[in-house]
Amino acid sequence: MSSDTVVPTPAGRRAGRSPRLPAPRSPLPRLVLLLLVVLAVAVADVLAGRAVTPAGVWEVLLGGGDALDRHVVLNLRVPRMLVALVAGACLAVAGLLLQSALRNPLAGPEVTGVTPGAVLGAVVATGFGLADRQSPLAVVVAACLGGLFGAGLLWVLTGRRRDDPTETAVHGVLVSAVLGGLTAMVLLVAPGELGSVVQWLIGTTEGRVWQHWNLLWPWALCWGVAAWLLAGPLTLLRCGEDQAAEAGLDTARARGAALVCAVALAAGAVSTVGALGFVGLLVPHLALALFGADLRITVPGAALAGAAVVGGADALAQVGGRGLAVLWDADRLTLPVGALTTALGAVLLLVVVRRSPARDF
Amino acid sequence: MRNAKGATPMEETRGPAGVPGPVGTAPVRGVPPAPEGGSADRPGRPPGITVRDVVFGYPDRPVLRGVDLRVAPGELTALIGMNGCGKSTLLRVIAGLLRPERGSVSLGDDDLMGMSRREAARRVALLHQSAPPVPGMTVRQLVRQGRYAARGPLGMLRGGDDAAVTRALADTGVTEWAERPVDSLSGGERQRVRLALALARDTRILLLDEPTTYLDLHHQLEVLGTVVRLRRERDLTVVMVLHDLGHAARFAERIVALRDGRVVADGPPGEVVTPRLLAEVLDVVGRVSVDPVGGWPVCHPDHPLNH
Repeated sequence: MSSDTVVPTPAGRRAGRSPRLPAPRSPLPRLVLLLLVVLAVAVADVLAGRAVTPAGVWEVLLGGGDALDRHVVLNLRVPRMLVALVAGACLAVAGLLLQSALRNPLAGPEVTGVTPGAVLGAVVATGFGLADRQSPLAVVVAACLGGLFGAGLLWVLTGRRRDDPTETAVHGVLVSAVLGGLTAMVLLVAPGELGSVVQWLIGTTEGRVWQHWNLLWPWALCWGVAAWLLAGPLTLLRCGEDQAAEAGLDTARARGAALVCAVALAAGAVSTVGALGFVGLLVPHLALALFGADLRITVPGAALAGAAVVGGADALAQVGGRGLAVLWDADRLTLPVGALTTALGAVLLLVVVRRSPARDF
Repeated sequence: MRNAKGATPMEETRGPAGVPGPVGTAPVRGVPPAPEGGSADRPGRPPGITVRDVVFGYPDRPVLRGVDLRVAPGELTALIGMNGCGKSTLLRVIAGLLRPERGSVSLGDDDLMGMSRREAARRVALLHQSAPPVPGMTVRQLVRQGRYAARGPLGMLRGGDDAAVTRALADTGVTEWAERPVDSLSGGERQRVRLALALARDTRILLLDEPTTYLDLHHQLEVLGTVVRLRRERDLTVVMVLHDLGHAARFAERIVALRDGRVVADGPPGEVVTPRLLAEVLDVVGRVSVDPVGGWPVCHPDHPLNH
């Protein structure tokens, strides 16, 4: 193609072309759709309980119904549903923050020491009488400290190799096991509060009332907004440490802020509903698949997805509990939602891992 | 973009081709603030780079052992040398990503050492050796990340692209892929996107770390040709690390050779690229001739030099 007289010219052939910039795909329809799913899940969760029939619930919501039905629906079911939704949102956003900050698709509050640490904090505070279910704020603070302790332990253990996702994952599992062991030891030393402590280990929305809701929503809102404000730096951080630093980001500071935010969100959720397994690890993958890599959209998207998943799991758990009660003729049998998310999550994790064997984050 | 239309095949290489003799003596670098170029909105010359006696190393391994280098405003310089000679490290020091133990770096009249990460990133952009793309991130989203230094953490939350993003996409010819995920592109396409990311920074200094690695010859020439064209259109100061001495001799106005963390040769390709350079800098025995059409030096490496 070159002749004797014309010097070959790289990249010249493209010069005259000027195609139009395609319009970006709007995420709004997907966000609205997911919001509708959350609303549907909320309704299902309120309807799913045992003591009041769906017709009774409907009557209460319209302002009628007898006193007992009103109490059950308005003071038990509605706050429980709200707590389930917001706790799910918190865990999902916490997971997304951790995965982005650590650049690790296998990071989640459950496997980075955050959730086990928060559980340990809550259990220690309760077991030694520093807090109980009547003083939920003390539990939140204790869970936060515990979560920070867990994450800090991981930070110290991974040392200089903390940029390696595998290293973080391995040490995260180790830290989580150690913290779980410590929690078990506390349970042995101070078994008095055991009954109320087990719920933190599995995760349940049973008995969550307005008091919990009143504590959870301002906390979740505050840290949720903080998480969204970090969307810019975190999107950049997901492009890689080098790339982010090169583009002008102080990576250590951004990562630190994201970790604090993630710990606070996870601790808020843990102190109200306990360690709901796999939500923080898997829902971010769902959110990223739905909303893409721009965290300005994906952070709220993850919050909605987490709310839908935990709300849905709670409704399922109630229906399932009812089924089990009929099956075993045991009236007081309930299925904790944490058992359900853990069981379903394990299956989903297998799907995620198998679907993308060589996927580099 | 209007400036994309001005580039005709002949213009791409008019400087080297039009002047007999060694390329380096061609007055290409004296390009005036191009009336037909895209830099009319950015008056003044781009800043030069001054590196003074820079020493940098890791605890067990010294990398740069006192590098002095002055890059004139608007110059296109190639850094060459063997693996581990400190080329990439020097680029990272100039970009402000590594802090030298001794010595200083100035961009124009400003001392790089006193700048915050973001301030430095507003003045100098570095195209890294390839990093794995983020799954699902579109070309537009990735290139938009280049605006972080200008917009700041909260500014990134605002919607919309900057003009710099649109222009960077157009200048590298990737506009039509804006909504495609980066991980679905081929290696050559990705490199153009990464060049767009560096250009979106809208800096007057552009550093490129082996921009042609892993690319086939077609895409190597494409990327280098784009760099040459953009340097002229945007009036940039460019320093690039190149492994291929042939590319360096053809595309750069000046070649700086590093060996063991020191500058060992510095000058226009016609003067610097000699059999002695091949032996002393690259440990290769070979011959050098002159391209009959373009006039730039061409290397004919024979075999590795065994000490």
